[in-house]
Amino acid sequence: MRPSCGLPLTIRVAALTILLGLFSTVAPTVSHAQVTSTLPKTWNDAVAKLGDKVAAAMSPTAVALSVENISSLDALKVAAIGAAAREQLQHHSFSLPTANSTAAQSAVPLQLTLSESAGGYLWVIQIPGDATDAKLSPTMIVSVSKSDSTEDEPEQQSLSLEKRFEWKQAERFLDFTLLKNPASSESTLLVLETKRVAVYKSSSRGWQFSRSTPIPETVPPSRDSEGTISLKEGKISFKGFECVGDPDLTGVVQCKISPPTHTIVDSTRIPGLPNSLGTLLYGECRGETIAVYTGEGDWTQTDFLQGYLVSLNPISAVPVGDAIQVRGPVISLQSEPDSSAVRAVVRNLRTGEYEGYIVTATCSH
Amino acid sequence: MEIGASVASLDPEMAAATAEEAAAKAQIDALIFVHRDADGTFGGAAGGGAFRVTAFEAGKRAVLAANEEFREGRPFVDGIEIAMGRGAHDRLVDLELSKTDLTEIAPQDARRAAEQGVRVSTSQPDELLALVFVSANMGSKAAGSASARSTGKASGRATGQNTGQPNGPARGEAAEQVMGHALSLAIDRVAIVNFILQKTGEPAGGLLPQWSSGTAFLFPAAAPTAADLEHAKELSKQIAASVPLVLGYDSADPLEQSVAERIVVNAKEAGVAVRAQAIPVAGAGAEKSHGAGLQTSHVDVQLMRWRMTSPLPGVALKDFLARIYAGPLAGVEASTFPEAGSPEDIYKQQRAVLNTYRVVPLVWLPQVYGLSARVRDWKAPGPGENWPLADVWLDAETQTPTGVQ
Repeated sequence: MRPSCGLPLTIRVAALTILLGLFSTVAPTVSHAQVTSTLPKTWNDAVAKLGDKVAAAMSPTAVALSVENISSLDALKVAAIGAAAREQLQHHSFSLPTANSTAAQSAVPLQLTLSESAGGYLWVIQIPGDATDAKLSPTMIVSVSKSDSTEDEPEQQSLSLEKRFEWKQAERFLDFTLLKNPASSESTLLVLETKRVAVYKSSSRGWQFSRSTPIPETVPPSRDSEGTISLKEGKISFKGFECVGDPDLTGVVQCKISPPTHTIVDSTRIPGLPNSLGTLLYGECRGETIAVYTGEGDWTQTDFLQGYLVSLNPISAVPVGDAIQVRGPVISLQSEPDSSAVRAVVRNLRTGEYEGYIVTATCSH
Repeated sequence: MEIGASVASLDPEMAAATAEEAAAKAQIDALIFVHRDADGTFGGAAGGGAFRVTAFEAGKRAVLAANEEFREGRPFVDGIEIAMGRGAHDRLVDLELSKTDLTEIAPQDARRAAEQGVRVSTSQPDELLALVFVSANMGSKAAGSASARSTGKASGRATGQNTGQPNGPARGEAAEQVMGHALSLAIDRVAIVNFILQKTGEPAGGLLPQWSSGTAFLFPAAAPTAADLEHAKELSKQIAASVPLVLGYDSADPLEQSVAERIVVNAKEAGVAVRAQAIPVAGAGAEKSHGAGLQTSHVDVQLMRWRMTSPLPGVALKDFLARIYAGPLAGVEASTFPEAGSPEDIYKQQRAVLNTYRVVPLVWLPQVYGLSARVRDWKAPGPGENWPLADVWLDAETQTPTGVQ
């Protein structure tokens, strides 16, 4: 689903703080020694094979290796492959002068392109030949299976998503939340619609309607309403106004116009994350921040939810684990407080009903 | 659903008259047969697939009903009516008037359709439009017209192994290679994509698209530079052709006609005289790429459309080579090309074919479909895939087009 990014304000601010701190304190470069060790064995073998091919095609000399990535590999892996390729060239007695040195001016330029085919990754080194005819340039290619990217990471934690159906209704709702009374086994379900909050109580026959609280019209109604429930803050936020009530929001609410909540993070794109609906989650996996994002389809298509790990060094995100499919576009995605879960509202394309799910992200081996 | 092809028979044993008919027939057969074997033949009885035929008018209409007993589950829709032989314009109009739910759209019409509010579904680019020299005609013609003057560096490369003063067929091959090289340099593929195809497609420099082979970036297809045109002019001077090169295109294909006319202009800028000639495909066999009809029509070079049969680059390239060496390049020695296996082999094989300049890739085209507002879960089929009509469902809340259940 591709509308605005639904990061809750608190998480946006937290992310902003992290990002700004990162920009000012952490150098984005990664040393060669660090990255080489992160390559799976088959990838290292492929880089070694590429080095062998270059050595067979030209005598050892000073070379300048430039790396271009036109595949889906993330920046960290690209850096690791580039570093491994440089090591291999040095292993074959090629020298790699630093960029601004005198020796670099006479170095033979080598172009390493990280490409991708229907079958896997392709790594291509071109040695310049006849400058007027690119087809005469010696070209060396090795292929690597995409599945190899994780073969040497058996101990690495993975992220799995599991969805649990909670609620459905024909009328559109914007968000929902579950309240559990620790003193009793009774649960309450709050369903936020465009003009009211409906309260349901759990019973042996499922959720039973208890009461509803109208949302006072504070601003002109919107054709594309958005609203979220924040139990932690004890408020309901809409575009342009917010409402507060008793601690669990099950009673009367009072609403007032709220100041704009946009922050710099609204326009900060994290490489690797789709341009779709998503949110950061509470908790970490592999020491990285967990995020869940939807697909980039529109309101006419089925959708999916994919877990991501957001790395801060360098700032990037990679999809981890399998995506879970839903039966229609995800129209709302909000993080649950104090747990690695999100609330998703989906419009089921087959039934036309709106469905609420709790999607839990689990980090495990 | 509306398609442009007219399918005369759904019997897999019956040969189709045109490539377009063969493709459409294969798609319909895939809906009514249980499975398709590796050799492309359909298995099981007709009607054992997702749908069964309830009415069929040869070349005009096929009505399919959902097979309740289909082993992979009943299709979501109750039935499909396929109107055949509908012109591209009529199909679009019908879609806009909600008379159909799904139709094929010519790539060059995709942008206009989208601008008019049509829901458009586009596949990965998987159909190559290329120039292919017709071996039987080119050799004899060029033999009498090529002077094969070896002047300068460019000519040395262009003639390759043919040094000195070749005679007869060898001299013809040398001229063919020089002409192909000149055309390859002069043709503005980017302009073809931007103006004729309205940006629906990609310039092609290789025989496989980037998404499949991962090596298309090694075959640049940028617009010709001033140096390219100068080089092309140098090459054309080597050919003292007294008559224009005849470029054949399918008379029923408006895209081929537009591209052929563009090539004539580009070639003229490089000093190569080319005359575009419409060739009726009927009677040329099921595969126009076979070129049998074109050889007898005295066409020197033809426009050829080839749709990938597999997303796997090795499989697709093998199919392409089989077609051109059984068709327009019949009789040309192809055994020197390395056997395709690894990505490097596939790259070298493409390079070997392209270095002959008998094949000049032009553009990659996607398959484009127009959908009504109520069609759900449609995914444009990729190479070797079938129309996913058993998985499609229709949103009941929207208007029901005429003739579709």
